[in-house]
Amino acid sequence: MSSVIKIDNLTKSYGKHRGVANVSFAVEEGDIFGFLGPNGAGKSTTIRSMLGFIRFQAGSIHIFGKDICREKETILREIGYMPSETMFYPALKVKDIIQMAADVRKKDCRKEAQKLCERLQVDVDKKISDLSLGNRKKVGIVCAMQHKPKLFVFDEPTSGLDPLMQSEFFKLIQEYVAEGATCMLSTHVLSEIKSYCRSAAIMKEGKLQCVDSVANLTRTNAKRVKLFRDGRQESYIYEGDMNELLQTLAGYNVEDILIEEPSLDEIFMHFYSETE
Amino acid sequence: MFTIYRHEIREYIKSLFIWALCVGGVGVLCILLFSSLKESMEGMTESFASMGAFSDAFGMSQLSMATLGGFYATEVGTIHGLGGAMFAAVISANMLSKEEDGHTSEFLFSLPIARGKVVMAKWSAVMSHILLFNLFCVSLYLVGIVVLGEDMDLQEFFLYHGMQVLMQLEIAGICFGVSAFQRKNKLGLALGAVLLFYAYDLMARVIPDLSDYKLFGPFSYANAADLFSSGEIYVEAAALGAVVLAACVSIAHVAYARKDLAV
Repeated sequence: MSSVIKIDNLTKSYGKHRGVANVSFAVEEGDIFGFLGPNGAGKSTTIRSMLGFIRFQAGSIHIFGKDICREKETILREIGYMPSETMFYPALKVKDIIQMAADVRKKDCRKEAQKLCERLQVDVDKKISDLSLGNRKKVGIVCAMQHKPKLFVFDEPTSGLDPLMQSEFFKLIQEYVAEGATCMLSTHVLSEIKSYCRSAAIMKEGKLQCVDSVANLTRTNAKRVKLFRDGRQESYIYEGDMNELLQTLAGYNVEDILIEEPSLDEIFMHFYSETE
Repeated sequence: MFTIYRHEIREYIKSLFIWALCVGGVGVLCILLFSSLKESMEGMTESFASMGAFSDAFGMSQLSMATLGGFYATEVGTIHGLGGAMFAAVISANMLSKEEDGHTSEFLFSLPIARGKVVMAKWSAVMSHILLFNLFCVSLYLVGIVVLGEDMDLQEFFLYHGMQVLMQLEIAGICFGVSAFQRKNKLGLALGAVLLFYAYDLMARVIPDLSDYKLFGPFSYANAADLFSSGEIYVEAAALGAVVLAACVSIAHVAYARKDLAV
């Protein structure tokens, strides 16, 4: 399997503001890749560098084996991108925006656009200024998918979408991926990563914390310990030698104890809050 | 590139017709009023011409207000000159910055089109709007002149309007260049710049020490009174205007291509 996205030592600084430093990872063809991190972690900076929206100081980004700095136009032709803040020209109608996105690519996307609009229940005759955030997101999805790109990049795609549309959106993603596309999904919703992604990267404070398959990331020695002692309940994540835990517990007046696997949310929160 | 150009043309078409109707409408009304003002103008021409610096500034010392050419140059020339310059500033000042101001830049930049082509498509739209604006206004003025039935030297008329197009393009080019560096729309700044250029031209005409520097202002080579009285182009100023125009559009091209999307 070849890498669709390959980022090597990406460094982008905004002067006083933190950007990203030495970020390296690859996304394999046919993968649904989760991109996680708290606000300000550098996810959007990485995505914007990947798409050539911003220039970076060091490192390299190759998409489909091509350098984004040299062949941006060719690369963007095969990418469907939806930003987190999906905004279009307010005076235009939905159908005009969809047509504009297709026209720039010099492709007849009418059939695919119609299919997407039907499945996502998009009213093409409405003006953009009359749309809610959720409906703007749906238009964004149509614009990103109608030309059947080889790579999808979605930045928080489901915020504002109702559960029915979220489900429809992921069905569409899975269908396109089954046809050979690759998807990179930046999201805060951990259940989406667990349900749909094969691998994921976690960013924090401009640095890559880890990148691995979701199965490996969730395989951990950490345990959720719920302890009832002296009429109080204590709950914490324990990551370490089990014998030491038992020795510590032996010194307490334990009324009840529950040691279980942490939830996916807890595992990722653990990554988020982990001190370097 | 054509898709972006077509989008920009559509986006500003209403604004174009409103401005053209207002400026052209007021201009044609002035022309039609000439026959009723002609007699009183004959008596007032001498007093207008003897108002010293004020007469120089508005060109009333060079032309007779009692002729259609003189009346057109002083009245319609001022309205069209200021109105056209303001329209050029309005249309170009937000042309590049509006994408980041309206948060549409991520959509635009994600399309497979080079930034340089975006700049050229947008600049082409600005030029087209300016040409359409002038075409509409000039057509209205010509209809007014024909309805009025008075004689007028059309060579000077077209020379003046040709220089007006160049001046509007220069002002648009300056605003367009500034727009490439902005992340927020700065319409007030653009209109302020037009009034500043106009005031500079008036001062350069009134204050003798400034007369050598008149050519630096875009209004210098597009002054109706000068063109209608001499029938000649102020070549140095017009050439400088063309250089400034080319430089500003080139700067916009380079700056926008290297610009980071606002985070």
